Amino acid sequence: MQNSGISKYTISFGLSLAIASVADGLLVIAKETNPDLLAAMKKLTGHHWVTHSIIILGIFFLFGWLFAQSRGGIGIKMSANRLIGTLVAGVAAGSLILLGLFTCLR
Amino acid sequence: MIEIVLMAHVFFGVACPFAALWVCVDTLNFSEANQRRIQKMSYAAAVFMWLSFLLAGYWYVFYYKADKAIILNGPFPLAHNFFMEAKEHLAIILLMLASYLPIAAADNLLAHTGARRVLIWVAGMTVVLALMMESGGGVIAMGVKAGLLSR
Repeated sequence: MQNSGISKYTISFGLSLAIASVADGLLVIAKETNPDLLAAMKKLTGHHWVTHSIIILGIFFLFGWLFAQSRGGIGIKMSANRLIGTLVAGVAAGSLILLGLFTCLR
Repeated sequence: MIEIVLMAHVFFGVACPFAALWVCVDTLNFSEANQRRIQKMSYAAAVFMWLSFLLAGYWYVFYYKADKAIILNGPFPLAHNFFMEAKEHLAIILLMLASYLPIAAADNLLAHTGARRVLIWVAGMTVVLALMMESGGGVIAMGVKAGLLSR
């Protein structure tokens, strides 16, 4: 797998962005269908959206950092086209989950 | 005075896609001369988005409740039930995209076309999602207005 000269941080944070985007959509489904989870998220910070934002941004920065440390600090190797495909798919999936969910709920 | 927070949120929310569009166009017309400017504008997009997000978050958590009641009792409850609900969660994806811009722009853009392609796609997605946010904000404001006028 060629790296196309892309830095390990571009790849690692790009992958974590795709993962966190999907996680954003899935966490909304979880809290909209589980009142106990929604109540717990409200209790943690005083507002479910604040807890939600902290969790998703935490996933983004933590996974980005972890992926960059993988393979003894070399990071994950990936071609530019594959990274773009993963990024677009992740962002589109996360966005469509959100839009689809609120379309169904209302 | 709290309206200033909301207006500042909109201002920085509009500034973000402007900066991202700049990054997109400059990267499409890449040369060694504009590499530094691309990196600066990538940072600007991220800073604008963080400011917009934090201001919106403050307003949403502490002041939105009154507007929400007006919208839900008005003729266009969808402004909250769909537009606000979707917007408050899509904004997190947009914040991550804008935060990723300076990371992607820090790559060696001169040497690698792949790095430039990644940056163009990320900047493009930032612009599209930010415009969706702006449209959503407009619909929510109309929901409040319609609710007030129907009283």
